[in-house]
Amino acid sequence: MRLRPRQWWSRLRARFRLPRTLKVTRIGRTYLVVTFGVGLGALNTGNNLLYLLLGMLLSMVVVSGVLSERCLRDLSVRRVGTDAAFAGEPFAFRWAVTKKRGHGFALTLSEADSPLSGEGGVGYLPSGVDHVVRADLTAPKRGPVPLAGVRVTTTWPLGLFAKTRVFPLKGMLLVYPRRGYACVDPGEAERGPVGDAGNPRRNDGTGDVAGLRELMQGEDARRIHWRKSAALGKLLRVEREREERRTWVLAVEAGLEGDALERRCEEVAALAHRLIEEGHEVGLDTVDGRLRPAAGSAQERRLLRALAWLGHEGPRGEEEAA
Amino acid sequence: MRPGTRLRLALRDLGSGAAFASMAVSGQLPVWTLVLYALSLVCALAGRRLFAKRAKLTALLLLVVAAVLGMNVLAGAINLVVAACSFAGLISAHRLLSAPEPATDGQVHLSGLLMVAGGAALSGELVYGLFLVAFGVLSSMALALGVVEASVPEGEPVPVRQVMRPLATGVGFAVAGAVAFFILFPRLNWNMMGPRASPGLGPATTGLSDTVRLGGAGTIKGNPRIVLRATLSPDPGKEALDAYWLGRTYDVFDGQEWTSVGRPPRGAMYMVTLRPGGDDLVHQRVELLPAYGARTLVALETPSRLGNAVAHQQSGSRRVGLQEMGGGEVRLQDPGISYAYEAYSLPPGGSGHDLRDLPPDEQDALLTIPEELDPRVAQTAARVLNGEREPLAAARKLAAWLQQELTYTLELSGDVDDPLADFLFVRKAGHCEHFATALTLMLRTQGIRARLATGFFGGERVDEAYIVRAGDAHAWTHVLVPGRGFVTVDATPPAHRASQSSVVLQKLISFYEAVEARWRSAVVDYSFRDQMDVARALVRPPRRRGGEESPSRLPPLRAWGAALVAGMGAYAAWRMLTRVLARERPHEATRFVDAVEAQLAAARVERLEGETLEDLDARLTREGHPLSPALTPVTRRYLEARFGGRPLRQGEASQLLGSLKRAISAEARRRAS
Repeated sequence: MRLRPRQWWSRLRARFRLPRTLKVTRIGRTYLVVTFGVGLGALNTGNNLLYLLLGMLLSMVVVSGVLSERCLRDLSVRRVGTDAAFAGEPFAFRWAVTKKRGHGFALTLSEADSPLSGEGGVGYLPSGVDHVVRADLTAPKRGPVPLAGVRVTTTWPLGLFAKTRVFPLKGMLLVYPRRGYACVDPGEAERGPVGDAGNPRRNDGTGDVAGLRELMQGEDARRIHWRKSAALGKLLRVEREREERRTWVLAVEAGLEGDALERRCEEVAALAHRLIEEGHEVGLDTVDGRLRPAAGSAQERRLLRALAWLGHEGPRGEEEAA
Repeated sequence: MRPGTRLRLALRDLGSGAAFASMAVSGQLPVWTLVLYALSLVCALAGRRLFAKRAKLTALLLLVVAAVLGMNVLAGAINLVVAACSFAGLISAHRLLSAPEPATDGQVHLSGLLMVAGGAALSGELVYGLFLVAFGVLSSMALALGVVEASVPEGEPVPVRQVMRPLATGVGFAVAGAVAFFILFPRLNWNMMGPRASPGLGPATTGLSDTVRLGGAGTIKGNPRIVLRATLSPDPGKEALDAYWLGRTYDVFDGQEWTSVGRPPRGAMYMVTLRPGGDDLVHQRVELLPAYGARTLVALETPSRLGNAVAHQQSGSRRVGLQEMGGGEVRLQDPGISYAYEAYSLPPGGSGHDLRDLPPDEQDALLTIPEELDPRVAQTAARVLNGEREPLAAARKLAAWLQQELTYTLELSGDVDDPLADFLFVRKAGHCEHFATALTLMLRTQGIRARLATGFFGGERVDEAYIVRAGDAHAWTHVLVPGRGFVTVDATPPAHRASQSSVVLQKLISFYEAVEARWRSAVVDYSFRDQMDVARALVRPPRRRGGEESPSRLPPLRAWGAALVAGMGAYAAWRMLTRVLARERPHEATRFVDAVEAQLAAARVERLEGETLEDLDARLTREGHPLSPALTPVTRRYLEARFGGRPLRQGEASQLLGSLKRAISAEARRRAS
C-alpha cells in the first residue's frame, strides 16, 4: 500500500521521536529569565544570598524534572474510544490510564500526530487504578483518522515545564460527515408505500391518530383533518402512530472531489438522517458500491460509515472506529 | 470556589507576604509601602479582591506609585534598588487584590521571586533566610496545587493531601540541592561588593554620651539586645569573660553630672595609639552592631591601639577614619549602621600611666570635688579608711564598704538637688553610676586621684566570639596607683554589674545570636577561601594544632559521618542489587520467540491484535501462506521449549532462526520476481 506524504511524515516523526519531550511554559520562561538575572547578579556582586537563591531556583528546576519523570513512569494507556465522531463538532473520547507504581498528578491526554484537537485531564491518578479520562475532541473533516499514539503531558509539580511522553498505540478513528440541516429535497421516492401503508386508502399512515399539526407547504392535502381545520380556521393535518414509509436511494455522484464531495456527503448524511428519523428506508449509491435501502439507526450508521470512507482508501470493516 | 482553590490562594498570598517580608527586614523600604502592602495582604487573605472588577483602571495606581518612587529617587530620599524593590512589592499587592486567574497567579509568584531577589540585595539578616525558605515552600505548594487544579475536571475536589507528600519530598530535595550548589559553586565574582548593612530589629538602645548625669530611672540594664561582638586573640576560652569594656572616662563632677576636661580633638587617622603596649597585647576584632547607636569605639580595658575601622551602611561598606577625643574616647568620623574595627589592649593590671604623663589640667581634675559637696561624704570616707593611704587598698576598702552598706536598685526617685548625698545618706540605694561616683569622690576627698569610667561589663561566649548586651552598660572607678597607672575598682555589687534582663529573654537572644553568627559565617560571608577549606578538608583532614593528641579514644565526628554515608551507599547498592536479582529473568524460549516475532515483523507478516505465535501459525497454515512450512517447526519447538520441558539445545535457536530467515528471503525474492 502506498503511503500518502502526510502519513509518511507522521510515521517518520513517530520513528525518530524522543522518549520524552520538554516544553517550557509561559511562566517557566519568565522563571528562567529571572533565574538568569539572579545568576548574573550573584556573579556580579558576589552576594552570597543571591547565590543561595540561585541554588534554590536551579534546584527547583532539577526537582521539577525528576518529579515529572516519576509522574510519567510506569504508566500505561489504552483507548476506550468514542460512540460516534462527527466532523466539526466535539465528541466524547475516552482513554483508560493506569499507573503501576507511584502516583500521577496533573496528566493531560491527547492524540499524538493526529488532526484531532482537544485534550482530557486527570488531576490525581492513584497507583494501580484504571482511570477513564474523558475528552471532548474535534475532528476537522470526515474520513478515517489514523491514530499513532497517545500523548501524555504533565506540568507537575510547578507548571514551569510541560513534559510529554507518547505511548505508541496504533488505531483508527472514523469521522462521520459534518452534521447539518437537510436543505435539499430528496427527490421522488424510489418505490411507493410498502406494507400496511401500501393500501391506497391508507395513504396517510396507519394506526390511531397521534396528533394534529399545521399543514406545511407541499404536504398532501388528503391528510387534512377538515372538521378541526374548520373549527380553528387553519389547515391541520393528521399525524398517525405509523407514518407512511417510503424508500429513497440517495446518491453521491461519481467525479466529485474536494469541497464538492465534502458538501455532497454532508447533504446526503443530513438527508439520510432526516428520512430515517421520519421512518423511511434509505439506501446509498456511490462509486464504491450500493447500500441497499433499510430503516433504523443501524442503517444510518452504515450510511454514515460508507460516506465517511468515500474518497479514502482502506478497509471498510465494522471495527474501524477506535 | 473549591476548598482546594481557597487553600491555594491563601498559600499564594502568604508566599507573597513572605517574599515582601524578606525585603522589609532590611528596614529600608518606605513606611507607606509597608502599610499599603500590609493592607493588601490582609484584604487578600480575607478574600476581598478589591481590584477584581477594575484591574486595568486600578493598574493606573501603579503608575502613580512609580512616579512617587521615581521622585524619591531623584530627590535622593531612597536609592534605586530600594525603589525597585518597593515597586515590585506594590505590583504584587495590586495582583493580590485582582481576580484570581492563572495569569494573575503567575504574576504574584514572579513578583515574589523578584522580591526575594531584592531582599537578598538589601539585607543579610538571618530572618531573610527564614523568609526565603517560607516563600519557597508556600509558593511551591501554591503552584503545585494550581497545576493539579487545572487538570481536575470541574466539580471534582482538588486532591490536596495527596499532593502534599511528594511535593514536600521535592521541596526538601530542592533545599538540599540549593545548599549543595551554594557550597560547591565557585565564587569567582566579577565585582566584589560587601554585604549591605541594615538597621535590624528596632532602634538603637544604648550609646555613650559626653556627660553622665545622675538621677532618672534605669532601663538600660534590662535590655538584652546585643551591641557588641568581639573575637579575642589569644582566646581566653572562658564562657563568661567578666571583663571591663572601656568606652571613655570622666574626670570633672559638678554635683549633678560628670564631664571630661576639654581637649581639642586630634586629626583623623586610621590607627590611634592611646598608650604604648608590649608583646602581650590582647587583639580584638570588634563589631559594633546596630543596637549600639553611637560612634565611640569600645575595647577591653585598657585600650592601647585602635584602628582599621569600617563602617557598614545601606549603600555598602567603606573604611572610616578615627578621631581621639577627650576622656580617652576614640570616635568614628563617619556615621554608619554598624562598624567593625580592630583593637589592642593591655593585659589586666593597670594602664601604666604615670601622673606626669597626663596633661596638667587633667592632673588637677583628678582631685577636683564639687564646692557644695556634702561634708558628710569626706567624713564618711575618712571614717571608713581609718588612716589607710595606699590608693588601691583605700579604694578597695571603700568599695567593700559601699557594697556592704548600700543596696543596688534601678528604681530611682528622679532628679534631686544632691544625688550623691541622697544616694549615700537618704535612700542608700542606687545603680552603678551612683556607686562609681560615690567611690570616686570619696577617694578624692581623701586626696587619692580617681576618675569615672563608662563602658560595658561582661562578655558572653557565643561560638568563637564574645557578645556584650545593652544591659551590660556599666560605670566604674579608675584609681591612679603610682607605678601601675589607672587601676579599675568597682564599687557596684558583683551581682549587679552585668545585664539585669530576664534570663529567658537572654537565652532566647543568645540562641538567635548563635544562629545568626552561624548564618553570617556560613552564608553571608562564605567565600572562595571557605570553599577551598571545604575541598581541603575533604581531601585531607586538618591536623590538630601543635600535634595535640585527641583526649578521646573514639574516632572523630568526620569518621562517623563518612561511615554513615558509606553505610547508606552500601545499603542503597544492596537494595538495587536485590531488585535486579529478584527481577524475573526472561526465559530462553521467550528470547527465542521475540527473535522470531522480530523476523516476522521485518517480513511484514500481518498479525491480528493479541494474536500469539501459535495462532499466527495456525492461521497461516489455513491460508496456505508460503512461510507456513518454515514457521510451523519453529512454533512447535518454541512451545516445547517453553511449556513442554524440552529446553532449546546449544545453537538450536540460531539454527531455527536461520531456516526461518532463509524462508523469508526466498519469499521476498519470489514476490519481487
